[in-house]
Amino acid sequence: MSDIKTVLDETPFQTAGPFLHIGCLPNSINIEGVFDNDLGVKPFANKHYDKFITITGSVFDGDGKALDDIMLETWQSDENGVYSPESGFARFVPNSLTKKFNLYTLKPGFINNIDGKAQSPHILLSISSRGLNMTLNTRIYFEGDDLNNDPLLSTVKNSRNDVSSLVAKKIDEDIYLFDIFLQGDKETIFLDI
Amino acid sequence: MVEALIKRNLKTHPQLNFPDYKSSRLRAPKNKKISFSSTSTEISGPVFNKDIIGKLDNDLTLNFSKNNILPIGHKIIVFGTISDQFANPIEGALIEIWQANAAGKYLHHNDNNTAPIDPNFAGCGRYITSSKGYYEFITIQPGPYPYPNRGIEWRPMHIHFSVFGKSFGQRLITQMYFEGDPLINSCPMVNSISDEKAKQSLISTLDTSRYNTKKLLSYKFDIILRGTNQTFFENRKEGL
Repeated sequence: MSDIKTVLDETPFQTAGPFLHIGCLPNSINIEGVFDNDLGVKPFANKHYDKFITITGSVFDGDGKALDDIMLETWQSDENGVYSPESGFARFVPNSLTKKFNLYTLKPGFINNIDGKAQSPHILLSISSRGLNMTLNTRIYFEGDDLNNDPLLSTVKNSRNDVSSLVAKKIDEDIYLFDIFLQGDKETIFLDI
Repeated sequence: MVEALIKRNLKTHPQLNFPDYKSSRLRAPKNKKISFSSTSTEISGPVFNKDIIGKLDNDLTLNFSKNNILPIGHKIIVFGTISDQFANPIEGALIEIWQANAAGKYLHHNDNNTAPIDPNFAGCGRYITSSKGYYEFITIQPGPYPYPNRGIEWRPMHIHFSVFGKSFGQRLITQMYFEGDPLINSCPMVNSISDEKAKQSLISTLDTSRYNTKKLLSYKFDIILRGTNQTFFENRKEGL
């Protein structure tokens, strides 16, 4: 049984433009004294630092140029695979000199999906910037984890041979590399979430 | 039963590849996005507590003013409601806005326009919606401004909106325009949306019913976020 309801159109996206820091990260561009803190500076304010991993990488445009005028946001579970509305959100930009971002966070655990099955550990990543008419979404999985039964990866494999753009490479103890390619041969897989 | 997000209708959204908007040429991915059923990842999301919002956060005419000097320009109210695609109001949604000042200048190191900054205007505000999904900002009418695209073009007056609903799958970043602005029709960012009704939904309307009560021109901009449907999974009993 389902009610017949009118479905309204979602408000359309527009680009976040080049000045998104003013609204989303004002303290990061020295607009101080308006908001006490920028949101998402620490995804897990109350967790122990010794459990944290670093995810580093760059976002490259179609010319292979690493971008710094972009905003990244991540949403993830804790180390036990549990989502909680109070923590797990991060918002950050690449360093303007190195063009690399660094996300310092917990490695998520296996996540219980709504159908009762497990999802492999992952982080939802979104990218907003000038030139992107809609926010892009992708997922960060982790090299070394069991990725064979993950529902989203199974869906992706139905249309793409190579899912490696969704898997962060382990480059050191507790350090992962996740580069994002907006275009080109290595174009990252983006998701209609 | 769980709340799964209804599928996004990409026809009412902008095209990512839209060469008239030059910056999209090297940034818009070429491959089709992968669609899939909602998982626990997209139907959850951060919730922001009302206590993060300071009392001037939604008054852009006061939140950066020095010695109570008001920013220059035309003071306006921007208000509306946030609801989902089934017209359910969304309480507790975080809205963040940013905009140029009255002269069309952003307080940002990457803004190369020669227009003046206003020392009393930062151009940022935020608010968390009330129980009826209502929000309100007091601000300065933003100016239009020139920018390099296909030669120099002009952006219509606009305010950027970032919205968090109840789940990360409802996340929206958009722009609000102003009724009657002649620059809207030629804007490539607006025209990256092909659906005429969707395009019109980004244009706020002058609310004349408030002329007397507020003594400020008021612009109404309602926002609709993704809706959710209850989904039943056979291998789970209801109530679990």
